[in-house]
Amino acid sequence: MTIRSKVIVFASAIVMSACGGVPEEKTTTEGAENAFSVAQVLEMVAKENDVTRTLYTKAIVGKGKKQGMKFDEDWRKDDVEAGPLPALFLRGVASSIRKNPVPLGLYLGSDFPINAANKFEGQQADLFQKIKKDQEPQFFYDEDQKLHTAMFADLASAGACVSCHNDHPQTSKSDWKLGDVMGATTWQYPKDSLTYKETVAVLNSYAKGTVDIYMEYLDEIKNFKSSEKPEIGTKWPAEGNYLPTAEVFLDSVKKLSSYETMKHLVVVNK
Amino acid sequence: MFKVNPLRQRQFLGGIIGLVLGVSLFYVLTLDATEDYVSVGPMNTGHEDLSCFACHADAKGNLAQQLQSNISYAVGARAESVDFGTQDVTLDNCLQCHDRPNDRHPTHRFTEPRFKDAIKNVDATTCITCHAEHHGERVSITPINYCMNCHQDLEVENDPLDISHKDLIAKEEWLTCIQCHDFHGNHKYEVAEHLKDTIPMKAIQAYFDGGKDPYSAVKKYIALSQEEWIKTLEK
Repeated sequence: MTIRSKVIVFASAIVMSACGGVPEEKTTTEGAENAFSVAQVLEMVAKENDVTRTLYTKAIVGKGKKQGMKFDEDWRKDDVEAGPLPALFLRGVASSIRKNPVPLGLYLGSDFPINAANKFEGQQADLFQKIKKDQEPQFFYDEDQKLHTAMFADLASAGACVSCHNDHPQTSKSDWKLGDVMGATTWQYPKDSLTYKETVAVLNSYAKGTVDIYMEYLDEIKNFKSSEKPEIGTKWPAEGNYLPTAEVFLDSVKKLSSYETMKHLVVVNK
Repeated sequence: MFKVNPLRQRQFLGGIIGLVLGVSLFYVLTLDATEDYVSVGPMNTGHEDLSCFACHADAKGNLAQQLQSNISYAVGARAESVDFGTQDVTLDNCLQCHDRPNDRHPTHRFTEPRFKDAIKNVDATTCITCHAEHHGERVSITPINYCMNCHQDLEVENDPLDISHKDLIAKEEWLTCIQCHDFHGNHKYEVAEHLKDTIPMKAIQAYFDGGKDPYSAVKKYIALSQEEWIKTLEK
């Protein structure tokens, strides 16, 4: 190699290394200790979900129906003036979760779903049979997607669950009873353990999902043309033709949340 | 400044011409006006007015930094590689303009384990399976019988169709699904009750190829234009 070539190579190396490369992305959690296993976190968020779903089903759908409010699977259609049924409320939460950076997945399925496409298959179907027997959560690692997965029983916690599913024209089972395991929620997360911050982020993303879908419902109400619009404020359907605001609804979820140690950390970032 | 050996003058001149040509080409081909010449193919229907940057955002760092980072990654001196030139186009790029609350088949639903086998046949977890870009059309997937992967057990109570859904499925008439149902459920229209009144496959195929919308001219949600999308970034 000539002296000139050596100079060129040396100068290139200096220029290249002087650039410093693209800064590596430091996660905000780097260096923080993992505080919870993924199973613990998914149990926490599943409990939040139980409280939220039960509250929505009983206090909004159940009591709301008695006030003449309507809830429909086609609630998003322009010619349907109704709110989301509980299963669709959960799907709305799941959609919202996927729009934020927290890599949490949420799904609802059953062995007797209204929509046949929601029927469990494969490993989920096998584990669901265990859940039906003991109502205990099931955990597994989905090798294909490299995701930690948990399934939790979804119970018929309100009369509205039973009556709607039994009477639905598309139902594949019409003898549901209160307390039956009607289905299971499936949750997924990529890491096996989470820091405190990541755990709070998971809980926040669920809470934000709740607010998002509830707000969508309130927005639909604004566009009602032929149906009477409930008054939206601090009152609940049990008191008349009222609906709570998203803040009031979420506050009640927090108060009812069984996860006492975490609930005060859940702050919804709107 | 440089002394050029008379025997190497032609070589030197060639080098200079090459350098000038290279720099000029690099400059010209990165102008907005020449995007069409750089594009690997015509934009899909509805995307004609998009600029390259709408999907192909510049990667972080300059070219020398990206080169250095990737060399470092190759020799194990860095944990992760970096995008080179432009960032990879991902699902998020599509959803920033096309995400809709009424999507009856949102991509995220198909990441659930129970769709494991279905997505081996049609990967509905990503838009480009059906909407491959730079093909100058609307829907690129063929054949359009993808409903068969999830709806084999469908039965419709009080079926409004003259030939029942159950019979159509038994006969594996999977191409008929799309003659009534638009996949994403964003059109506003009345669904036919007689098979003879459904949308002809020719009209569906023409629509998929970029032609007239046979379902309805009315949609509940309209995707963001590039200007509207830019405004969302400024918020």
